[in-house]
Amino acid sequence: MSDVEIKTLTMNFGPQHPAAHGVLRLVVEMDGEIVERCDPHIGLLHRGTEKLIEYKSYLQAVPYFDRLDYVSPMNQEHAYALAVEKLLGITVPERGQYIRVLFAEITRILNHLLNVTTFAMDTGALTPPLWGFEQRELLMEYYEGVSGSRMHAAYFRPGGVHQDLPEGMLDSMDAWIKQFYPFMKDIEKLLNDNRIFRQRTVDIGVVSPEQALDWGFSGPLIRASGIPWDLRKSQPYDVYERMDFDIPLGKTGDCFARYLVRIEEMYQSARIMEQCVAALRTVSGPVRVDDRKISPPRRGEMKDSMEALIHHFKLYTEGYKVPAGETYTAVEAPKGEFGVYLVSDGTNKPYRCKIRAPGFPHLAALDMMTRGHQLADMSANIGSLDIVFGEIDR
Amino acid sequence: MGVITPAKPDPVTEAALSRALNDELADKGFVVAQLDKLITWARTGSMWGLTFGLACCGVEMIHCWMSRYDLDRFGFAPMPSPRSADVMIVAGTLTNKMAPALRKVYDQMAEPRYVISMGSCANGGGYYHYSYSVVRGCDRIIPVDVYVPGCPPTAEALLYGVLQLQKKVRRTGTLVR
Amino acid sequence: MAEPLQELGDHIAQSTGDAVTTAYVRLGELMLDARPDRLVALITFLRDDPRCLFKQLIDVCGVDWPEREKRFDVVYNLLSLKNNQRVRIKVATDEATPVPSVASVFSSAGWFEREAYDLYGVWFSDHPDLRRILTDYGFEGHPLRKDFPLTGFVEVRWDDVQKRVVYEPVKLTQEFRRFDFLSPWEGAHQVLPGDEKAPAPPQEQAKTS
Repeated sequence: MSDVEIKTLTMNFGPQHPAAHGVLRLVVEMDGEIVERCDPHIGLLHRGTEKLIEYKSYLQAVPYFDRLDYVSPMNQEHAYALAVEKLLGITVPERGQYIRVLFAEITRILNHLLNVTTFAMDTGALTPPLWGFEQRELLMEYYEGVSGSRMHAAYFRPGGVHQDLPEGMLDSMDAWIKQFYPFMKDIEKLLNDNRIFRQRTVDIGVVSPEQALDWGFSGPLIRASGIPWDLRKSQPYDVYERMDFDIPLGKTGDCFARYLVRIEEMYQSARIMEQCVAALRTVSGPVRVDDRKISPPRRGEMKDSMEALIHHFKLYTEGYKVPAGETYTAVEAPKGEFGVYLVSDGTNKPYRCKIRAPGFPHLAALDMMTRGHQLADMSANIGSLDIVFGEIDR
Repeated sequence: MGVITPAKPDPVTEAALSRALNDELADKGFVVAQLDKLITWARTGSMWGLTFGLACCGVEMIHCWMSRYDLDRFGFAPMPSPRSADVMIVAGTLTNKMAPALRKVYDQMAEPRYVISMGSCANGGGYYHYSYSVVRGCDRIIPVDVYVPGCPPTAEALLYGVLQLQKKVRRTGTLVR
Repeated sequence: MAEPLQELGDHIAQSTGDAVTTAYVRLGELMLDARPDRLVALITFLRDDPRCLFKQLIDVCGVDWPEREKRFDVVYNLLSLKNNQRVRIKVATDEATPVPSVASVFSSAGWFEREAYDLYGVWFSDHPDLRRILTDYGFEGHPLRKDFPLTGFVEVRWDDVQKRVVYEPVKLTQEFRRFDFLSPWEGAHQVLPGDEKAPAPPQEQAKTS
């Protein structure tokens, strides 16, 4: 029998695709239904964020960070605020830190809700998104109450947070947390023992611990592969040291392990939220640093006092000057390690602000993860990697 | 002053209207109506939206389709394929690299087709207007019917934009576009 | 608090011979200035040495200092999970000199180096797949360099006659307004039209008496 030559079929998993989670162009080489190689083409959402940041003052650059990972906006602001505070050499007052941790965990739940439910939608389950997004709406009400905007809050600023929580928000959060646990049980009942979901996720996209380290994984992906690493525990920032929470760890490193890690992280985030809410009832004080050279005065004060007016004017036009230096500051964003490498030359504008998005190395590893799998597993892999193009392409 | 309050649908008149319609049908077996009103009623009652979520506005667009601001009850079903979609909601920043793909998808839609530009990035470049790789408004590439402002527009604002598009279709509805 | 970091920096500098030119600690972060030709050996040492164990390459980026002769700084950030430590390695290069690629040591470096090449034009030798990753398909230029303008050179629009997306030179309806706040007494560098200073009157001849 003569040798049969098989040519692989190159297919375009185009930029507009319901399962591509944003603008991803994948060029897949397929041998029948099996993926031989896949080449992700990114940059379809490259907006030039880093270049634009170099032309803005430090305060004006804050909203760019919201728009990076747009499903968990405040965690990006958190990293930037910490980086600038490190260069300035200031510490945020305690109440501000508690509010930051509270909203960072709210953002983590926001992110995992979107990821888990849309991942389920990619594998065919249409009910979890409908339930999960109502919870997201309730959390976005908190965003709106505290900053005015449902998504892009520009709330965490270098120096603290912009303003204190409104009245009644803490009670509302207590009530929300109480109804969150039964809601999560419902979602787990739908998906955990679901035969279809398991068949589509167990043993798909297995990543060994060595591969995870080699490819620069972080966050739930590295924890699902069995490596216990969480920046909130190992390099804590703000008041994470005082929080009592656990880190879920997976064993198999497949899509199902990543899903389970995210579900458990949501429970732990709700636990942290409870502790923060209890602490915020007792801790009082300013929510941003008192230094008038960095933190603008309150509006009422600005209309009365001449010094406040001058400070307000200088801070909102020129902005504060950050001493020359550089820092790499990372936070545990819901997707992984989100880092900001900030280089300052002593002026009021950042000289270089490199944004290290967790999704960038994760997507680079997609080729390694999907080899030998079928095309349908591609969307399961992309979903479990938690890819958002705002941060990958910047 | 200057605030337009929409006329509240009167339940009494509506019930009377549907009763009259049913009576007419039961009596004669057919109803007579103006052709273009009928066509626009059919078009606006079931406008399937192409989910062209590019960036952050895409998340608000998804929120608009989910339980709270259900777009589906207006007949506005999500349709991932351009071939069967009526409306394209450009949600998010359009970059130079993505522009040809956008035009290709728009060309694949069948007439009558409408475009809603959602968010300030799609309207005019938005927050990234001065960037080297951003198209300053998706109307440089495709013709737009309704612009929804916001960064991102709340899901409610997008819903308002969809209703405005329906009004526009009713106003300018013709058989041949 | 900075002593153990400085000791680690000195240990690395000694063990790798001449790869590290300086090791210093600033703001609690260890930074090493390295020579490009010994970079791969240094990175491999950092990954494998028992005192270092920097098993993850977190980030590779470029920084542009146009006044310097070697204008680009390629910065590598590494993380050691076991020792809970970070280190930063900086390598200086210019537009024509390639930097050896560390993709053979860490697989994650592949895309990071592609990005540095795309945005700065830094060449990496022995890279498995060096091509543009973030910018447009036929993009010319390297956007994050300081001499590249913010708005770029080309913009797109749909041409109905040619029935395709065309690239045209950039025409902005309103210029990007750059306010120069750093020299308040000398005033802004850009002069608003109509504000030009009148020319000085001609000097009278000094009378010699």
